[in-house]
Amino acid sequence: MDFLNLLARLATLDTEAPATAAPRRAALSRLGQAGTALLPALLAALPAPALAGTQETRTRLDVLKLALKLELLENEFYSRALGLTPGGPANPAAFFATTANQAAIQTIQSHEAQHVALFTRLITDAGSPLDAVPNFDFTGSKNGTQAALYPDVYTNLDTFLKVAQLLEDAGVRAYKGQAEFTQTDNYTLEAALRTHSTEARHAAHIRTMRRQRGANVKSWVSPSDTPITTAGTVPDAVYSSESNTTQYIVRNSVITKVPFDSTLPINVGTPPLSAAAILTKVAEAFDEPVEAATAETLLQLFTY
Amino acid sequence: MSDSVSTSFLGRTLRRRSFLRVAGATAASSALVLAGCGDDTPTPVTNVVSITFANNDIGLLNYAYLLEQIEAAFYQKVVDSFPSDFTAEDKAAFIDLRDHEVIHREFLRYALNSNPYDINYSTPLVFNFSSFTLTTRAGVYAAARTLEDVGVAAYNGAGKLLTDPAYLKLLAKLASVEARHAAFVREQAQPGSFAASDVITATGPLAGLDTVKTPAEVAVLIAPFVPLPLVTDGLMLLS
Repeated sequence: MDFLNLLARLATLDTEAPATAAPRRAALSRLGQAGTALLPALLAALPAPALAGTQETRTRLDVLKLALKLELLENEFYSRALGLTPGGPANPAAFFATTANQAAIQTIQSHEAQHVALFTRLITDAGSPLDAVPNFDFTGSKNGTQAALYPDVYTNLDTFLKVAQLLEDAGVRAYKGQAEFTQTDNYTLEAALRTHSTEARHAAHIRTMRRQRGANVKSWVSPSDTPITTAGTVPDAVYSSESNTTQYIVRNSVITKVPFDSTLPINVGTPPLSAAAILTKVAEAFDEPVEAATAETLLQLFTY
Repeated sequence: MSDSVSTSFLGRTLRRRSFLRVAGATAASSALVLAGCGDDTPTPVTNVVSITFANNDIGLLNYAYLLEQIEAAFYQKVVDSFPSDFTAEDKAAFIDLRDHEVIHREFLRYALNSNPYDINYSTPLVFNFSSFTLTTRAGVYAAARTLEDVGVAAYNGAGKLLTDPAYLKLLAKLASVEARHAAFVREQAQPGSFAASDVITATGPLAGLDTVKTPAEVAVLIAPFVPLPLVTDGLMLLS
């Protein structure tokens, strides 16, 4: 059995839901509930096609194209807010309220523009034509064809920052999910990882800005954050399974659930935290990946 | 209290013998054994020991484990004695940071199973933060900025050296949290610096990309905190 392959998919266990994966997901989800002694038996019971058939497979070019789409979206989102392209606030300086807010968004936008240039170059260097750039609608109304989720995105700074947090947190998860598909090319992998951590810095700072404006949100993704999305909506996928407290690793060739909830000596505070509170810290300490399909779904919400 | 440490934790021969078998760690020399000990000094069998990382994924996990040990020890030290000008918000943040790094450390130690470099150390390493000013808020945030930025750069450099995609994904789960930490502590140290040009490349073909450092570069930066020489030659053979 290919444990490494299976492990890679366990790492995304809760973050993907293609319909064909249902039997495998049901079987794998049982692993999380079982004691480790049962794991080999459960694994042996998994039908081989279920193990082989559903892992996300992506080429390096797929990864580059998704990255460019994400960066184009983010760059346009911030460029409008700053008045660099049409469609944003009538008076950007007034919209941002403080020069510090505006400067931070300027910093982030400049990075997104640089990421656009980077991934454009890498796609072109790979000999591929560029996909057409879509139209963007950051209210989520798809140019008025559906109800707007964020009608005041460019008139209410708090709404703008919520969408910014959504896009940045989604970007972190998307790059994390795609990195492994660039492993055959060190240049692309390193570029992807360095973009990934840049997006994480952006995400953390957007969260810090929101907290400074009174929102209950940490600079790292926490189950204690007041949710900014509604269950069942497209944006909610950005936070689905992000508060996962379960990690798996291979030990002695056995896929093993890391015992954060039992034997690992992680509860070192004085006094110790409750069992629930220490697992909240575990959720904060790991950012989770999403698959490309999840990122594409979010992209669709803001493009037409 | 001093952070300095003797290297006498491997005092017993049996310890040393089993230690030598451990992947990822070597005793470099015993030439200095007993040198300089006075008559009335308890005479530990002091070996000059280095931390040597194997040229494989286990070596890279040990490298990450050491980084997380350093960060966890740093935050624990701050939490044990907060600067007098720390706010309640600062304290809560540093308790979060301490907990995250302890969780990362123990996660990696568990993942390493029988291969943590320090599995047979009789006492844990004591890391030395005397190069930092930890009595003021500004000093603490500046120190945290240094450590978090090194951590981000180290993870960004380690990714392409890993073989197993599962390890790549697992370390990436930690790396972005470190980047979030870095942005937070940088902003507290200096407003507006969460992603400033000293960490995000400003010009050229790699503009917009976060810092990356090789294991050898990182070893130089963390050497002041670690009471043993770090040997990263094996990691530097990886590509």
